[in-house]
This record gives sequence, structure tokens and C-alpha cells, in this order.
Amino acid sequence: MYRITAKEELDVRDFFMEVEAPHVAKAWKPGQFVVLMIHKRGERIPMSIYYADRETGRLGMFIRRHGKTTFDLWDNFDVGDSLYAVAGPLGMPIEVKYYGNVVFVSDAVCGQAENYATLKAMKEAGNYTISIQTFEDKAHSYPEKFLAKPVADEHYLTTEDGSRGIKGHYLDVLRELIEKDKVDIVFGGGKLGSLKKLAELTREYGIPTIVTVRQIMVDGTGMCGSCRILYDGEIKFACRDGPMFDAHKVDWDDVIRRDSRFVREQEIAKKHYLESRGVV
Amino acid sequence: MAVKPKLIKERVPTPEKPVEERIKSFVEVNLGYDFASALKEAERCIQCPPEYAPCIKGCPVHINIPGFLKALRENADNPDEAVKNALRVIWNDNTLPAVTGRVCPQEDQCEAPCVMGKVGDPINIGKLERFVADYARERGIDQELLEEFIAESNRKVKVAVVGAGPAGLTCALELAKMGYKVTIFEALHEAGGVLMYGIPEFRLPKDILKTELEKLEKLGVEVKTNYIVGKTVTIEELLQEYDAVFIGTGAGTPKLLNIPGILLDRIYSANEFLTRVNLMKAYLFPEYDTPIAVGKKVIVIGAGNTAMDAARSALRLGAEVTIAYRRGREDMTARVEEIGHAEEEGVKFEFFLTPVEFIGDENGKVKAVKFEKMRPLEERDRRGKRKIVGTGEYVTLEADTVIIAIGLEPNRILVEASGFKANPDGTLIVDENLMTSIPGVFAGGDAIRGEATVILAMGDGKKAAKAIDEYIRGKKANA
Ligand SMILES: Cc1cc2nc3c(=O)[nH]c(=O)nc-3n(C[C@H](O)[C@H](O)[C@H](O)COP(=O)(O)OP(=O)(O)OC[C@H]3O[C@@H](n4cnc5c(N)ncnc54)[C@H](O)[C@@H]3O)c2cc1C
Ligand SMILES: Cc1cc2nc3c(=O)[nH]c(=O)nc-3n(C[C@H](O)[C@H](O)[C@H](O)COP(=O)(O)OP(=O)(O)OC[C@H]3O[C@@H](n4cnc5c(N)ncnc54)[C@H](O)[C@@H]3O)c2cc1C
Ligand code: SF4
Ligand code: FES
Repeated sequence: MYRITAKEELDVRDFFMEVEAPHVAKAWKPGQFVVLMIHKRGERIPMSIYYADRETGRLGMFIRRHGKTTFDLWDNFDVGDSLYAVAGPLGMPIEVKYYGNVVFVSDAVCGQAENYATLKAMKEAGNYTISIQTFEDKAHSYPEKFLAKPVADEHYLTTEDGSRGIKGHYLDVLRELIEKDKVDIVFGGGKLGSLKKLAELTREYGIPTIVTVRQIMVDGTGMCGSCRILYDGEIKFACRDGPMFDAHKVDWDDVIRRDSRFVREQEIAKKHYLESRGVV
Repeated sequence: MAVKPKLIKERVPTPEKPVEERIKSFVEVNLGYDFASALKEAERCIQCPPEYAPCIKGCPVHINIPGFLKALRENADNPDEAVKNALRVIWNDNTLPAVTGRVCPQEDQCEAPCVMGKVGDPINIGKLERFVADYARERGIDQELLEEFIAESNRKVKVAVVGAGPAGLTCALELAKMGYKVTIFEALHEAGGVLMYGIPEFRLPKDILKTELEKLEKLGVEVKTNYIVGKTVTIEELLQEYDAVFIGTGAGTPKLLNIPGILLDRIYSANEFLTRVNLMKAYLFPEYDTPIAVGKKVIVIGAGNTAMDAARSALRLGAEVTIAYRRGREDMTARVEEIGHAEEEGVKFEFFLTPVEFIGDENGKVKAVKFEKMRPLEERDRRGKRKIVGTGEYVTLEADTVIIAIGLEPNRILVEASGFKANPDGTLIVDENLMTSIPGVFAGGDAIRGEATVILAMGDGKKAAKAIDEYIRGKKANA
């Protein structure tokens, strides 16, 4: 069993959770993810890592209350409780080396976690690091201590409505950066629709771009094929061959469509859960 | 010897759940023997001498079949004693009889050469094996017997087993019986391999599998789930802590068809479909959290056990199911019993059709499959199957869900992470003692054979356990 050692609200929708999983913490490298099951009847859900502490054996995660599983996790699991399964680390680590000026952009929960983790590693490898973190508005933005600010050489916080930080999306800030300075590589995570636009933007400037391709997963080890994507004309499994891929080679329309494969079922699960809690 | 018994040509049948009932649930289809009928069936065996009993030769792990049938007969008036003796004989060669009694293709193995098959039906060896295991479990006889197998001296020598499928489980159990301290590392959250995530409850109930797995704990084997060897821990790290390693990682990666439309919604690999349904219990959604979306018209592509399992699972989820196979009826590789069950339950079969395109609707969901019609040739391939050629004629079948069951290959995670010598298809290369290119690391089951069978995987596990024992003794002697 994997004990929860910390839990804290990040904003009205996302929360931070720390879990003891020494076997994963010991082996984790930036770019890799884990798969959780909150209880025996649970779904296997992939999660990005905010930090993995080898000393304490703990993993930090940012989790969004999306549907059944993440609602359940927030409502019913507190510090001291245990999760049924934590497996990993899964996926391929990113290549941490000297690139020059490295930018990490994100506009949703898993991107925010990786924004911190990836930039930290890149900075240690001697890169000049720039972080751009976008939130919808003030109510949906994270407290200062959970931002990537301390690890980045340059940090931009934006909200789409301008209620905190710069008004605009990371795409706007990135375009400005690219126009005025040299950007050697961009890493990104977050909303799939934005990643598609990011790919279009950096392709225009010929800047290498590596992003997390979120796909619906089951095992996370390359055993089921649920997470398959079309990449450079070939079938790849996001869990085994990714989850970080060259954004310019991904067939984004298919990725975005496949993300909504189970919308009907997800709604049923959520409704069933809320009813069982007496909420609806 | 006793008086020569009269030859009884017909098998004592085993009852099955009626079709109308079973297609509404995942409860087991075959109900098995009781002691009286098992005894009657066992009495049909003419007891060929073990030295040349063809059934033993036909069994990949050489279970002493006449021996266990004799044990049943010798204590006809004391069923508990009879079963205990029979189980002891079986366990000598096979520690998971409740599993193999249910899933082995007996008609191609022990039952194929059975002498009784020349005059009538071969002995129903599979169902008898299953009976012994089930009866023993229900009466706690297996627990008593287990005590006999618990090794006295713990040599405190540690062996790591990677993967908790039939190969890994057997290797671990055999080594534990020899007194080794064994730890299994399993990627998923439950042990069992394909037995857990692939084979549905209506063929192999999970409770039964779990009781078989309890043997591990009794024999002191530790199972570490959620460990992906090659990711969570490397082979090199394992070799630092353990005296030897056994790889039983199976062949779990689905082959997908490289044809247009493969990314459409509701096109599943059989592994995804079966994992959602079996391991994650999507058939009990939303009581269990993992969903599955299945429409009304399902096409399953393939004709092995995997295809039958997927088809029969889809049927139980309320769909109309057609199996489309590129070869003919006689080339199907599934167990005869499963093909029969699928037919009885109303699965339709279409032969000589190769898929060439998946056609989607405006929402990106599959709505039909275009096939090319095939024609068989006289010439045969390596496996003795007739070769087929395209005819240039096409047909399109409607489907709102497609399940692809055309085969599996080994997961590349481990090979890539550890630098094993492997074949192009990802199967590990081993020597005659099942040792891989890394000294002290052995392998067996689907990881070295590609897709094979439960009993072959178990046979490898057992053989590797012997080889590991010799290897470790040799190492200690030279140290
Ligand atoms: C590599 C990777 C990293 C991720 N990192 C994070 C993270 O750091 N924080 C976070 O909150 N979420 C992350 N996710 C998404 C997370 O897995 C989903 O939020 C979670 O599965 C939602 O489950 P639910 O039951 O609460 O919601 P649901 O109602 O089931 O689903 C809500 C949405 O989550 C996604 N999703 C649902 N099931 C799965 C699944 N089995 N696998 C993948 N995605 C699914 C879909 O986009 C879906 O529309 C990540 C996903 C991937 C693939
Ligand atoms: C749907 C289906 C139905 C079948 N029906 C039959 C049947 O009726 N009769 C029959 O004889 N055979 C049948 N087979 C074939 C049979 O199941 C396999 O041949 C057999 O399970 C192989 O055993 P194994 O131990 O080699 O591998 P598996 O059973 O595949 O087990 C491998 C295990 O290793 C784990 N693993 C993989 N990689 C790693 C890693 N890197 N680290 C840790 N763990 C890892 C996996 O999670 C899995 O638990 C069927 C197969 C399928 C898919
Ligand atoms: S071959 Fe048939 S008859 Fe002969 S021992 Fe085996 S089961 Fe009995
Ligand atoms: S999640 Fe199963 S193959 Fe990627």
C-alpha cells in the first residue's frame, strides 16, 4: 500500500498530493509518469510527476478533479490513507543535456507538474531555462510556492483573462520570446488543443518542440494498445514510446479525437459516483 | 492386475450451463464432474504402462496421467484420500491443475494419442485434472498436501522471477519447493499474467485462480506487484541482489493492423478489450470504475483463443458478434471446446476474409470493415496451414465495434532496457538450459516462444527452475 503523506488544494479544481512509493521515486527520471489505482475497483490512471524524492521515497503530483476517480481521490483520501496501486516509473525519460535556451510552456495540470520537474533537470544540465505557466484566471491559478518560478531563470505567469500575471496565453508570450531572442528548444504539456497550436507555431520558426501526448491508457506498459497514436505515419504507443514526442510529427486531430472516446461512459461514472455521495 | 475391464466407448459427459443463461453473465460455462462421474470416467482408462503411455508423451510437462487416474480409482470408497493421492501425482509435474484442467488444448496434447480414442472417445483427461484440483480446493485437501511440499531447509539463496504469468509462477513455485527464497516482480497490480487479464471468468473464474496463487504465499514466495522490470528496477540491479533471475514476461504487446482507419474509435486490440473487461471488470461498470464502450454489432478479427474470448465477452455485453478470419474453418487455432461454445452461444463466423480498411462515420467511430476475399492454395506454410491469396474481390461488413485479435509479441521494454540478445520479433534468445545472453538470467514461456500455451510456459518455468538450481550450485561450488 502506498501512503498519502501530504494533500493540499492548489486552486478551485486542482490539488497537490504526495504519496509514498519508494520503488518509483528511486527510479524516476524527468519525462516519466506513474499509474495509480486508488482502490481495488478503481481505474488505472496515469499521472505526471512534480517531484520524486529518492531520500524520502515520496512522489509529488498535481491532480485535477476531472471525473469519477479524481473526485473520489479528493473526497475520500486524506493524509495517512493509502492508495491501492502506484506503478512506475513509466514511459521514456527525456534527454536531459545542454540545448541552450530551453522554454517549458503549460496551461493545464499535468503540464504544470512537468514544467517544474523538467525545467529543474534542464537547469541542472546547464541550460538557460524559461518557464511560461498559463492559467484561465486568478481562481484557477496556483499559489506562488507551487509555481516553477524558483527553478527557472525567467518565469512568466499568464492568465487568459488577465486577472493574475500577464494577460494572454503561453502561445502569445512564446511568440514574443521567439521574435526577440533565441529559443533552442521548447518543451510543453497541458491541453491537447494548445499543444497542436504550439506545434504549428514552432514549426513556423523551425524550433524543435517536445510535448507530452496525453492518451487514454489502461496498463501504461505497452500491453494494450489503448494509447496508440499516429506518429510520423507510424503507430506508436504513447505510454511506451512516449509520452513525450516531437510535436511536429504527431497527428494532433486524431489524438484530440481519441481523448474523447469515453466521454459518455465518463459522464455515467461521474453521475453514479455523485449519486452515491448524495450530491445529485 | 485386476480383471480386464470392459471397454466403455463413450465419455461420461460434464454438465454445462444452458446457453440462454450463460450469455447473460460471466459465470463459468462448464460445471465439471462430481466424484461419482469422475470415477466412472477414470475407470474407462485402460492404464497403459507409464513407460509408454501415449497420454504422458502427449503432455508437454509429462503428467503421470494413468498414475493420477489410478489413484482416483484405488480409493473409490474414500474420495478425500483418492483426490489427495491423485493431486500429489499431478503436482509432481504441474502445480496449477485448476488452470491447465480448464485451458489446455487437451485435444491436441494428452487426449490426442489416448489409446481409447482408437475405439471410442479418448479419456476426458482435462476435465478429470480439473476435477481433482477443484475437489481438493473445495475440501481444503490441497492445503494439507501443501505442507508436504514446504521445503525444510531454507538455503537463503535468493532468486528473482520477473512476471507472474504461468511461466514465472511455475518457476517460482518449483524453486520455493527446493528451498530458495523467491521474489516475483510483476508489472500489473495483480499476479496471474494472461490468466488474470486475458482469459475471461466464464472460462477461468478469478476466485479459482486466486486460490491457486495462494500457494505462493504458503511456500514463502514474495510477490512485488507494480514493479516494471527495466523501469522500476533493472536486470543489473536484480543481479546484484539475487543469485539468478528468471524472465517470464510473456508476449503481451498486441499486433495491430497497419491499414487505414486503425485509430478510429471503438477499434480495440483484444488485449485492451479483455484487460478492460477481465482485469478491470468493466462488465461491472459503473460499480467498477473502468469503462468499455461496445456497440450492437461487433466484428472480431482472428481465430485463436484470444479471438474466441473477445467474441464471447462482447456477446455477454449484449452485442451481436461475428468472427472474421482470413483462413478457413479447419485452420482456426483456438481450442475446440471454445470454438464450440462460441458457436452454441450464437457467435457467427465468416471465413477467407482479410481486412483492408476500417471505415468511420463523421464522428470518427468505426461503422464498417472492408475485407478482401481470400482463396486457399494447396501449398502449406511452416505451421502446416494452407497458404491463402487475395482474389481482388471485396466485401464490406457493418460494425460499430471492432476487436483485433491477430496476435501478440513480446513487450520491448525489457529487451531495450537490458541489452538481451533477441530475435527480430522480440523473443529472447536462450540456450538449451533456457539461459539468456546474460549469465545467470534465464527465460521461458511466451517471452522466448512468442505466443504459445499455458502448459508450455509452465514447462519452461519448471525446466528453468532445475537449470537455475544447477547454475547456483555450480556457482557456489566454484566460489
Ligand atoms: C501521461 C499522462 C500524464 C497525466 N498527468 C496528469 C496530471 O499530472 N494531473 C492530472 O490531473 N491528470 C493527468 N493526466 C490525466 C489523468 O490520467 C486523468 O485526469 C484521469 O484519468 C481522470 O480520471 P477521472 O476518472 O477523474 O476522469 P474521467 O471523467 O474518467 O476523465 C476525464 C478526462 O481525463 C482523461 N482520461 C480519462 N481516463 C483516462 C485514462 N485512463 N488515461 C488517460 N487519460 C484519461 C480524458 O481526457 C478524459 O476526458 C495524465 C494523463 C496522461 C496520459
Ligand atoms: C486471451 C487469451 C486467451 C488464451 N487462451 C489460452 C488457452 O485457452 N489455453 C492456453 O494454453 N493458452 C492460452 N493463451 C496463451 C497463454 O495464456 C500464454 O501462452 C501464457 O499465458 C504465457 O505465459 P507466460 O508466463 O509466458 O506469460 P504471461 O501470461 O503473458 O505473463 C507475463 C507476465 O509478466 C508481466 N510482465 C511483462 N513485462 C514485465 C516487466 N517488464 N516487469 C514485470 N512484469 C512484467 C505481465 O504483466 C504478465 O503478468 C491465451 C492467451 C490469450 C491472450
Ligand atoms: S493413453 Fe488414454 S487409456 Fe492409456 S493411460 Fe493414457 S488416458 Fe489411459
Ligand atoms: S496504455 Fe496500454 S499500451 Fe499504452
